[in-house]
Amino acid sequence: MRKIMYLEFERCIGCRSCQAACRECGGHEAKERNYVEYVDFMESRQTYPMLCMQCKDPACARVCPANAIQITEEGVVLSAMEEKCIGCRNCTFGCPFGIPKFDFEANKMYKCDMCYDRSKYDIAPMCASVCPSDAIRFIDFDEMQALRRRRAQMNLVEGKKPQEGNKWEYVPEFFGVYTD
Amino acid sequence: MTQYLVKEGVKNLIHPDEQLITTHCCYCGMQCGMHIRVHKKTGKVVGVEPRYDWPVTRGKMCPKGVTAYQTIEHKDRILRPLIKKNGKFVEASWEEALDLIEKNFKRIQAEYGKDALAVFGGVSMTNEKCYLVGKYARVALGTRFIDYNGRFCMSSAAGGFLKTLGIDRGSTLPWTELEHTDCFFMAGTNTAECHPTSIQWFWRAKDKGAKLIVADPRETPTARVADVHLDLKPGTDSALANGIMHLLIKEGYVDEEYVNERCNNYEELKAMVEKFTPEYTAKITGVAPEKIVKAAHIYGRSPRSVVMFARGAEQQSKGVDNVSLYTSMALLRGQIGKFASGVATFTGQGNGQGGREHGQKSDLLPGYRKITDPEAVKYISSIWGIKPEDMPGPGVSAYEMFDEIHKGTIRAMHVICSNPAVSAPNLEYIWEGLRKLDFLVVNDFFLSETAEFADVVLPATTWAEDEGTTTNLEGRVIRIRKVREPLGEAKPDWMILSKIAERMGKGKHFQYNSAREIFDELRLASKGGKADYYGITYERIDKEDGVFWPCPSEDHPGTPTMFKEKFGTPDGKANLAVVDWEPAGEEPTEEYPHYLTTGRVVFHYLSGNQTRRVDFLKEQCPVPYAEMHPELASQYRLSNGDLVKLTTKRSSMVLEVRLTKAIRKDTVFVPYHWGKELAVNQLTSACLDPVSRMPEFKVCAVKLEKVSAKEVKAQ
Repeated sequence: MRKIMYLEFERCIGCRSCQAACRECGGHEAKERNYVEYVDFMESRQTYPMLCMQCKDPACARVCPANAIQITEEGVVLSAMEEKCIGCRNCTFGCPFGIPKFDFEANKMYKCDMCYDRSKYDIAPMCASVCPSDAIRFIDFDEMQALRRRRAQMNLVEGKKPQEGNKWEYVPEFFGVYTD
Repeated sequence: MTQYLVKEGVKNLIHPDEQLITTHCCYCGMQCGMHIRVHKKTGKVVGVEPRYDWPVTRGKMCPKGVTAYQTIEHKDRILRPLIKKNGKFVEASWEEALDLIEKNFKRIQAEYGKDALAVFGGVSMTNEKCYLVGKYARVALGTRFIDYNGRFCMSSAAGGFLKTLGIDRGSTLPWTELEHTDCFFMAGTNTAECHPTSIQWFWRAKDKGAKLIVADPRETPTARVADVHLDLKPGTDSALANGIMHLLIKEGYVDEEYVNERCNNYEELKAMVEKFTPEYTAKITGVAPEKIVKAAHIYGRSPRSVVMFARGAEQQSKGVDNVSLYTSMALLRGQIGKFASGVATFTGQGNGQGGREHGQKSDLLPGYRKITDPEAVKYISSIWGIKPEDMPGPGVSAYEMFDEIHKGTIRAMHVICSNPAVSAPNLEYIWEGLRKLDFLVVNDFFLSETAEFADVVLPATTWAEDEGTTTNLEGRVIRIRKVREPLGEAKPDWMILSKIAERMGKGKHFQYNSAREIFDELRLASKGGKADYYGITYERIDKEDGVFWPCPSEDHPGTPTMFKEKFGTPDGKANLAVVDWEPAGEEPTEEYPHYLTTGRVVFHYLSGNQTRRVDFLKEQCPVPYAEMHPELASQYRLSNGDLVKLTTKRSSMVLEVRLTKAIRKDTVFVPYHWGKELAVNQLTSACLDPVSRMPEFKVCAVKLEKVSAKEVKAQ
């Protein structure tokens, strides 16, 4: 898979479509696996989406004593395998981004699998498909690189950044999530 | 019956046991494209798939859109007619329900005259249905009392556009051009929450360096990233627009050639805005003068700009003034009728545009014809097969129908696709009116707060169980497809209306077998009118990704950009608005010292009758709250999560406090999607705009009191 998930925090409008859409994905049992948070609602309405970074060497899988978290040949870090997960929650502690969720009733973890049933055919995951602000995108690796270069160029254009209401300074710059 | 349409090269995930049906969302005016997933064997709706190739929304959906399909087979659906017996609803057969309606309608009309019946329509349904509601009221019931919930939503925009441009089309340009715009001036629109999928166009334009000016008492997600956020006091839009125009003229940003050639009243306008210096404007609006100057410079220098507004500017007793002044700003800059520039309103309801064009309004007949125009009456009568003298005269607006109920003129009402028991202002008056009615019929697919007052509830279908067309916020006529057969005994509204018409002895005027037959009649009825649909067919809509009205003949390409040559006024020139600022109907006083304004959240649609039943949306926003600035809150010792009692002249209610600095310090915001004791419309003011008869939802004066949970329980 040459496609990557690309997040631009400051585009986020906090509508939580990505979460609603996450529930709609075939293998997701109507439970969302992504997050949208306010940076600080007291200060502004700025929100940002969070989803699995699909790490190359994922901590969640490394700390799993049951080997329940599989990585596909494309590099997608899957949700725990039903029959292997022992419900120890090591993955939820291990993940530096706080991504894996835990279903206490079913005693198993669940996490973003980049809608593997879609993305394996190069069809955008549900969250990236519906995101109205393009805060979450599913794009070619080359397009991501172009966007990053563009970012540097845009910062050079005078008046490009808002003078007022530039509360996105509260947000870290940007970063992409990729599997190569 | 059903089709999956997709352009070449676009991939969708299609499960082998499912089929996709191409349609649009049932909620707001964006009318986002979507495919609904249907199980082939059972015919059941299983989910949604993005419609990546719909040019306006490109597969994007908001959380309401993503979950819209869940309302279709929802467990709360009304599946059989309900009749109220001894204060409780019992299921009945269609025959029984229709017998009862016939008996009561005939009795009431015999006793009190034809106009004792009223019809309260809505525009969250197809053009076919909206058109038929108008015909039903005038032909089947023969009453002059018909109006619709657009009075609470769009009518000020319509009034303002008619006054200035001569034709009310929500947007003068197609929205696919928006990415080429250099500057957006957005007033009273919480775009990110109310029309989320439009954001992609604004952000894309912003990527290219477009400027954003936002006028709103709250720092909405769009205001947050705006180049200038004009944080005006509620109800001061007309002063702000006059102030900007003062600067446009002073700084020489006026397109003199365009104005001289295409606009009236320029000299009068100049004289009027003379006094609106930045300082004077700042005093009225509460916006810093520097911000007004900065906004005027940015807006004035932009070669291509679009002025946009929504309910914030429209739901005021000066709504028409606000709209015409904002529109005049675009006219002064010579923007209307050109590429990627113009003026637009964010249509709130799914078919707010189409639904107001074809005769659901008290004074209008199909195709935007005036019911007071004898020629129009003659033409429509000939289409409907009635005598012109049998056409009822103009009625009154939605809220005023409740005055008529209190006066005893209206004795029975038929509510279709609307929930005034939540969405009307001054609710206690509305509820009293609904209780006072001798007989109330409601068509709905969920038991709404209004339906609870009804004597008969008729089970209507959802949008997915019938075909038809809607007109989106651009003025593009698009196609809604039938996804599944109606659930239970539910029937589409047009079938219900035809059945009642038959009982009223007017069956011969309502001989329809499908929505398409109604559309063909609508095409004829609108022919030659301002909103001319004659050249639009279902086939053309599919082939051309929707057709923009006016489209007078089948070989006419439709009209994506309006007013290229001339305006819709009798002399072809636009009328610049010359209006002074006037205070809102209710300003803060010593007793009620703060502003209360209402609005929406992204998770709910209108009165919430649908969205409050969808799990995801309910979880995200289960109850309303009072949003205020911490500085205001501290004056009342309120902190996050405390309970506050809001009191206006009309009523009071208790809400949880939510603190944020992203709102003016003198304004409290409450979302309005809930009914009964959670309805903020108990508090809102029913001061009506003199032209559009739109109530002033956005401004009233409020008093705050801290209360404890104990005190609330004790009450």
